[in-house]
Amino acid sequence: MPVALTLRFIRRELGNRFAGSFSGGLWAVMQPLLQLAVYSLVFVHIFKARVPGADAPGYVPFLVTALWPWTAFAEAILRSTTAIQDNAALIGKVALPREVIVVASVCASFAIHISGFVAIVVILGLTGQGVSLGMLPLSLVLYVPLFALALGIALVCASIQVFVRDLIQALGQLLPLLMFGAPIFYDRTLLPERFRAWLDLNPFTFYAESFRALLLHHGSVDAVHVGMALATAILCLLFGHWLFRRLDAHFEDFL
Amino acid sequence: MSDVLIEARGLGKAYPKVHRSSDRLRALGRLLFKGADADRISVLRDVDLEVRRGESLGLIGANGAGKSTLLKLVTGVLTPSTGHVRVNGEIGALLELGAGFHPEYSGRDNIVMAAALHGISGAELRRRLPGIIEFADIGRYIDEPVKHYSSGMVVRLGFAVIASLKPDLLVTDEVLAVGDESFQKKCVKWMQDYLADGGTLILVSHSMYHIQKLCRHACWLRDGEVAMIGDVFDVTQAYLAWHERKAAPDVTTDNADRHNVEFSVLDIELNGSAGLQPLLLERGDTLRLSARFRSRDGRVPCVAVGIIRADGTPVYGVSSDMDGHVPRQSAPNEYACDLQFPDLPLLPGSYTVRVHPMDPEGVRVFDTLERGVTIRGATREFGLVQLAHRWDAGAGEVAR
Repeated sequence: MPVALTLRFIRRELGNRFAGSFSGGLWAVMQPLLQLAVYSLVFVHIFKARVPGADAPGYVPFLVTALWPWTAFAEAILRSTTAIQDNAALIGKVALPREVIVVASVCASFAIHISGFVAIVVILGLTGQGVSLGMLPLSLVLYVPLFALALGIALVCASIQVFVRDLIQALGQLLPLLMFGAPIFYDRTLLPERFRAWLDLNPFTFYAESFRALLLHHGSVDAVHVGMALATAILCLLFGHWLFRRLDAHFEDFL
Repeated sequence: MSDVLIEARGLGKAYPKVHRSSDRLRALGRLLFKGADADRISVLRDVDLEVRRGESLGLIGANGAGKSTLLKLVTGVLTPSTGHVRVNGEIGALLELGAGFHPEYSGRDNIVMAAALHGISGAELRRRLPGIIEFADIGRYIDEPVKHYSSGMVVRLGFAVIASLKPDLLVTDEVLAVGDESFQKKCVKWMQDYLADGGTLILVSHSMYHIQKLCRHACWLRDGEVAMIGDVFDVTQAYLAWHERKAAPDVTTDNADRHNVEFSVLDIELNGSAGLQPLLLERGDTLRLSARFRSRDGRVPCVAVGIIRADGTPVYGVSSDMDGHVPRQSAPNEYACDLQFPDLPLLPGSYTVRVHPMDPEGVRVFDTLERGVTIRGATREFGLVQLAHRWDAGAGEVAR
């Protein structure tokens, strides 16, 4: 994978997303902050949402620590699904390793949302919301398997989208389903006992709970779940890579 | 000892037929599970090609003959359906217009991107950037989005990037056709220097002038197959002759009862050969024509001979009565004549020799028999025949 070329594509991708906006890169920081203001208004002051438990964290840090990784994950998949299709003109004229386009798209989404995540966690930590800032570097390590998982899914979606153009429509419906099927807006303990184990079928559940365990000391994650999550991410990436390689040669025929 | 830069064996490309969206789903299934490959449109078949380092190959053919597809296979943009192609070097390709420029970005940004695609960035790029911008020579447009460019400006930019890369192999598809006169000259000059430095070129053009100027070999693609490959002059002449024949009015002589008419042609020999294959001659050779005629009533025919270019343009025509020649009798009711064209001035190309017997008064034409003649040779002169000419070095005689 040519690194310089990937970096160039990432820069272009970032440029694309903020091109035409008056504040440019500043928007990357403003957007999550505004979103946070909206969520705290709606959930805390209107819904009066509370996290159950004696020494439970406040609802805003509870939401933020899982919602930001989710946004990075979901946006990376959604945007990179059409990455090959959007670059059809380039693919038809220049021979290049096409994974670069998908990788760059996923990287750009993660770059934007990780910086937003860091900004918000730091603000929450400094304003005394019960976030342990010391665990922030460790929590960022969690983004590595999450990135691998997202890239694997993105490679599958991007290559299938070339053939079946309906995929992007279906994803627009599937991703919110996956979001509400993970403990992002709620805690696992709020579910009836018999449904709780079902959450583990959702690959994002591990990440939502791990970010909270690290940053808020809310709940815990055992080694079995870590191992399963790592295996899922690696298998997903390998499968995505295999599928992309297999279909790659035929993209030009269908674009 | 020149090494092979491009090697293609049995190269073919077929596109899947995709009419409805369900076809796309089926195609995906087939690709994933290795099913039988149904419905495909073949655009290129069985192309064997070998280009050595330092060679220049012109690719010619009618629209839709598969030229662009072949280039895309060579550059790796397309994956072959059959056969394989191997390129031992770095390729700079300018396929169709644009070379993959993004319409929303400025010319400068697109140069940076295009350079990155060829593995150039950082300091190396900063060093080359001024040269690229100067070569493109599109003034203030360099900082405008490419979508506001004229097609000529896009090509200028694309060529400028490729020119700065100095790749092992340069592949260009109809690039010169869009640029204006001065840019064309600049490109041709650059390509000549590039070839002189040992570069390898594959050029697609509909301009035989450019092909002959820049290439030593040519490959003619017809309906997805190689029709002819070899010396540039031989191939371009054959190609042009094919076009001329396509444009020529169909001369089908109704020969059903030609032996019952008053006069008919029995046979023609060109330079002693009676076969139906076109006679191959070099310019300046002698063309000797021998023809035998049958005369129903024993009268002596008058013989007309014409030379026509493959597209039907008459070059020269003469008849025996004009020169006061009388065909000799070779047998009862049979006459023969021999005619020579020494030092033939025809320019390289395909021609047809037609022989007609006429009544003794030279008024009515009774029959037609024709044979092809191909003049070989390398020349960039235009027209049908070489006229005697002389360039005078008359500088000293200018009137004061």
